[in-house]
Amino acid sequence: MSRFFTTGSDSESESSLSGEELVTKPVGGNYGKQPLLLSEDEEDTKRVVRSAKDKRFEELTNLIRTIRNAMKIRDVTKCLEEFELLGKAYGKAKSIVDKEGVPRFYIRILADLEDYLNELWEDKEGKKKMNKNNAKALSTLRQKIRKYNRDFESHITNYKQNPEQSADEDAEKNEEDSEGSSDEDEDDDGVSAAAFLKKKSEAPSGESRKFLKKMEDEDEDSEDSEDDEDWDTGSTSSDSDSEEEEGKQTVLASRFLKKAPTTEEDKKAAEKKREDKAKKKHDRKSKRLDEEEEDNEGGEWERVRGGVPLVKEKPKMFAKGTEITHAVVIKKLNEILQARGKKGTDRAVQIEMLQLLVQIASENNLGEGVIVKIKFNIIASLYDYNPNLATYMKPEMWQKCLDCINELMDILFANPNIFVGENILEESENLHNADQPLRVRGCILTLVERMDEEFTKIMQNTDPHSQEYVEHLKDEAQVCAIIERVQRYLEEKGTTEEICRIYLRRILHTYYKFDYKAHQRQLTPPEGSSKSEQDQAENEGEDSAVLMERLCKYIYAKDRTDRIRTCAILCHIYHHALHSRWYQARDLMLMSHLQDNIQHSDPPVQILYNRTMVQLGICAFRQGLTKDAHNALLDIQSSGRAKELLGQGLLLRSLQERNQEQEKVERRRQVPFHLHINLELLECVYLVSAMLLEIPYMAAHESDARRRMISKQFHHQLRVGERQPLLGPPESMREHVVAASKAMKMGDWKTCHSFIINEKMNGKVWDLFPEADKVRTMLVRKIQEESLRTYLFTYSSVYDSISMETLSDMFELDLPTVHSIISKMIINEELMASLDQPTQTVVMHRTEPTAQQNLALQLAEKLGSLVENNERVFDHKQGTYGGYFRDQKDGYRKNEGYMRRGGYRQQQSQTAY
Amino acid sequence: MASRKEGTGSAATSSSSTTGAAGKGKGKGGSGDSAVKQVQIDGLVVLKIIKHYQEEGQGTEVVQGVLLGLVVEDRLEITNCFPFPQHTEDDADFDEVQYQMEMMRSLRHVNIDHLHVGWYQSTYYGSFVTRALLDSQFSYQHAIEESVVLIYDPIKTAQGSLSLKAYRLTPKLMEVCKEKDFSPEALKKGNITFEHMFEEVPIVIKNSHLINVLMWELEKKSAVADKHELLSLASSNHLGKNLQLLMDRVDEMSQDIVKYNTYLRNTSKQQQQKHQYQQRRQQENMQRQSRGEPPLPEEDLSKLFKPHQPPARMDSLLIAGQINTYCQNIKEFTAQNLGKLFMAQALQEYNN
Repeated sequence: MSRFFTTGSDSESESSLSGEELVTKPVGGNYGKQPLLLSEDEEDTKRVVRSAKDKRFEELTNLIRTIRNAMKIRDVTKCLEEFELLGKAYGKAKSIVDKEGVPRFYIRILADLEDYLNELWEDKEGKKKMNKNNAKALSTLRQKIRKYNRDFESHITNYKQNPEQSADEDAEKNEEDSEGSSDEDEDDDGVSAAAFLKKKSEAPSGESRKFLKKMEDEDEDSEDSEDDEDWDTGSTSSDSDSEEEEGKQTVLASRFLKKAPTTEEDKKAAEKKREDKAKKKHDRKSKRLDEEEEDNEGGEWERVRGGVPLVKEKPKMFAKGTEITHAVVIKKLNEILQARGKKGTDRAVQIEMLQLLVQIASENNLGEGVIVKIKFNIIASLYDYNPNLATYMKPEMWQKCLDCINELMDILFANPNIFVGENILEESENLHNADQPLRVRGCILTLVERMDEEFTKIMQNTDPHSQEYVEHLKDEAQVCAIIERVQRYLEEKGTTEEICRIYLRRILHTYYKFDYKAHQRQLTPPEGSSKSEQDQAENEGEDSAVLMERLCKYIYAKDRTDRIRTCAILCHIYHHALHSRWYQARDLMLMSHLQDNIQHSDPPVQILYNRTMVQLGICAFRQGLTKDAHNALLDIQSSGRAKELLGQGLLLRSLQERNQEQEKVERRRQVPFHLHINLELLECVYLVSAMLLEIPYMAAHESDARRRMISKQFHHQLRVGERQPLLGPPESMREHVVAASKAMKMGDWKTCHSFIINEKMNGKVWDLFPEADKVRTMLVRKIQEESLRTYLFTYSSVYDSISMETLSDMFELDLPTVHSIISKMIINEELMASLDQPTQTVVMHRTEPTAQQNLALQLAEKLGSLVENNERVFDHKQGTYGGYFRDQKDGYRKNEGYMRRGGYRQQQSQTAY
Repeated sequence: MASRKEGTGSAATSSSSTTGAAGKGKGKGGSGDSAVKQVQIDGLVVLKIIKHYQEEGQGTEVVQGVLLGLVVEDRLEITNCFPFPQHTEDDADFDEVQYQMEMMRSLRHVNIDHLHVGWYQSTYYGSFVTRALLDSQFSYQHAIEESVVLIYDPIKTAQGSLSLKAYRLTPKLMEVCKEKDFSPEALKKGNITFEHMFEEVPIVIKNSHLINVLMWELEKKSAVADKHELLSLASSNHLGKNLQLLMDRVDEMSQDIVKYNTYLRNTSKQQQQKHQYQQRRQQENMQRQSRGEPPLPEEDLSKLFKPHQPPARMDSLLIAGQINTYCQNIKEFTAQNLGKLFMAQALQEYNN
């Protein structure tokens, strides 16, 4: 409080002394510290006021202040020094002094100083106590000031005769300021009291002035979250324009009034407080109204505010009287935005203020341009609300954001003459000129993309098994709707690039959804009139396939950034695969050549690629193309990191390997839960495909020494199954597959079938397919066929001939199928047999070597290599490299081809070596 | 039953030497003929070995035990045996030597031959030619010159003919082993091939007359059907197993040869380098000499060219020996089987 008061007195004294409008301004450096920058023009006007006179007088007052300080602590040496400086400064100011007359404060200090020195001189005891330096300085100063004061004799005597006149002025101000000031003037010497006060205020004065100034600024701008105190000034001054004139008169009146009581008696000041306050208020009001011209007085009444009880009120944007124009609103907006991103800015308040601004703008019919502009900024600050990338929006914020975007879109749709664009410069914006099309800077597309990302973030950070997740997921419809609207908007106005981007967004929200309606429609071909209206209405919506086709094709044709196209292709393939359009999906995948260069793209795209491949594999499986399914899934499954590769979770084991940063990045890459591909389904599909491929293969190559594995993972599962000491009924999906594989190995398709398709497996896997029954029938059929093949491979050596009818009974396949399978095997030379047409039997040729023969063949092979190696040693001894023996060796290898079937003969030829 | 002319004399020395101290039999090693010409085994020992395997051995696991007996002239008589206890790795403090001594002392108390004359081991399809067997037989033969190792093949025995073989290391091999130098040169010098590693000692199973009488009596009582496993025509399993094992050995052999080959190549390469270096040095010296400078000091070539470590050839020798054994087995087996098959064919024809 005292701070306000004293500063007030300080600035007041100057202004009153100079008798002119002048503002004591802090040194230039302070500008930088202001939280809000003034607009240019304002600053300029103020600088003009700061004249040469100002400067000189300020210099003088500063010196005087130091002298008074020194006087107070009886530092005569200091006094001497400062007095000399003062003299010089006065000399400099001579020209001004000549014009203006000797400043009163100067006279005052001279008089005071002389009195003070005399006093000291008289005080013998005090003098004795003084140290030598001080004593010396005292005498010097005394002589000097005597000499100096001779020039000002008339002034000083004048002053001494009427000391009140000058002192009163101070006192008056003090009283006016605050209660505490009243008793200060009770000192015998009012002047010294005032001086004392002044001295006291030395330090804070600069600061407080700054503060004051800030407040002035803010009063005009009335917008800063930092000091709420300011708002009350704004509020109290919210009078109507009509009062303006009146206010001006009251200023004079109050001034007059003020003076009267103060000159009477100081002690009455306390009683007058109330009155004063009222006056002050009045004062202030008027002050507000003629803001700029009366800047200097601003200090006067502003300092009072410290004593007034503060009433916190809702922030107001503008002084009530201000005419709300575009310029004002935009200025305000800019001010708010400037605080954005700064330390200590309360983001919530900022958002609130922006919203208020919108309200004001709409209340005052400022046109849509401004509103759009502000809305853009609101959304931007909503996004800014969370400083951390990892954290996600609060639900209410999110809701606000959605609403806001919706509103924005409403406006944009309603006013087709508004142009929105990133590339519109701030200067070229046209927010209110109704004649021309409105131009607003801002990009709706970026906002929507950001919104989509926020949505993803929210989904990532919600526990997928909670009700909360479902709640959030409901917003997805809104998000889609917004994207759709933006898409529509951009289709009208946007550039192709923008359209591509928004299309991609749309695609990203479409591709993973199974289109049940379209599926339904496919199943039931249109029957025409029998359908109810509602059904038809439901069916109105575009098939997602058609939609995808349209969007993707546009992107393929128009997109110039590779990334968007890649994503679009992948999504397209995914969508095809999801809807069992295997051939389209496969062709698109092959044509795009993505497999070759996908490793160069960024991780999210790679994740998308992996997802697509998996979906493709599952699709192939549904079509009964086990081999394709296996191939598509091999890469993902063989790594054992399917979870990570699909972006569906982090692996624990690699937690130690990566640091915090990496983990955060990885966490951000995760796919939200509702997009997940069921990992168990994936693994099951893979294992079953592998089983269908591997078991017949194993049976066919039972005795082959160098047989390769088709699927390592499947073998691993088999081994795990074998290692079990006690084999109970299968529990998990894997155990089921392993058990089924064992049954299949024996050609027992029924057991195999019952292991693969049963209640448990239905629940775990098969029911997850959209056309579960179709898949199951396919699967049974596959199992029958592959079991038949396995059976033939395993047991053909036992048979001389088998009737195909028996086989068809055994495997419950119709005869032509059996016939075709066996024929295929014979053609592929997998089965050494021939078909006897009349009797419908398979006649075995029995040319396959027996186990011993196979062993002997292997042994022969090994011996061959042994001999070869041995010969090398021999070569070495001979000192000849290559040559004769080398050729011979190649001979062995060449012979192997026909030896394979040769059996005994070959063994003999081998032993000959 | 057997007399104990020298048995008692050598008892003290031999039993103490099992702990691995005395350097007996060193002098005799050089001579071509070995100390034992024949092994005479008591029926009891055979039965005990078979019983031991039946009770404790299975599959590839082998059982081992100590043979007791004495030497009579050039004949080694094995009159008793006792098994090594199967012990797991948990009880590491188990002292085998202590156990053997204790066992022998106890046997001595009940007036049984307690001279350590060797050891026995079961085998899986004749795969006994290993480093472990070599080492342990070497230490036996080193300590007790007459020691033999009895190899019992339970699988062959199960097929109807008892398979029990006594082996000794040849004196040549003993010599090499003593020097512990298995480099190619040493083996070459020792003139050792896989055929000359082990010598088989003929076995005679001798029973007391009483037992013989009992046997005859039992033979009359037993039906012919009890012996029919001898006539089993099934061959594939056994043959397959043998082939499989043979193949593994051949693989090992191949690897070994490759290793040896690399060694040879490396050494020859080094030799060349060495040679080049020497030549260069010589030329330089010549030049220096012509210029009147002192020749370069001789450097240690072996330091510049560290000779490669030649691979130990013992392993390959053993593998070769093992392959030889397998081959013998297979030959024997197939020969027998062929005979059986012809017989069966003849029978078939006869019946028809």
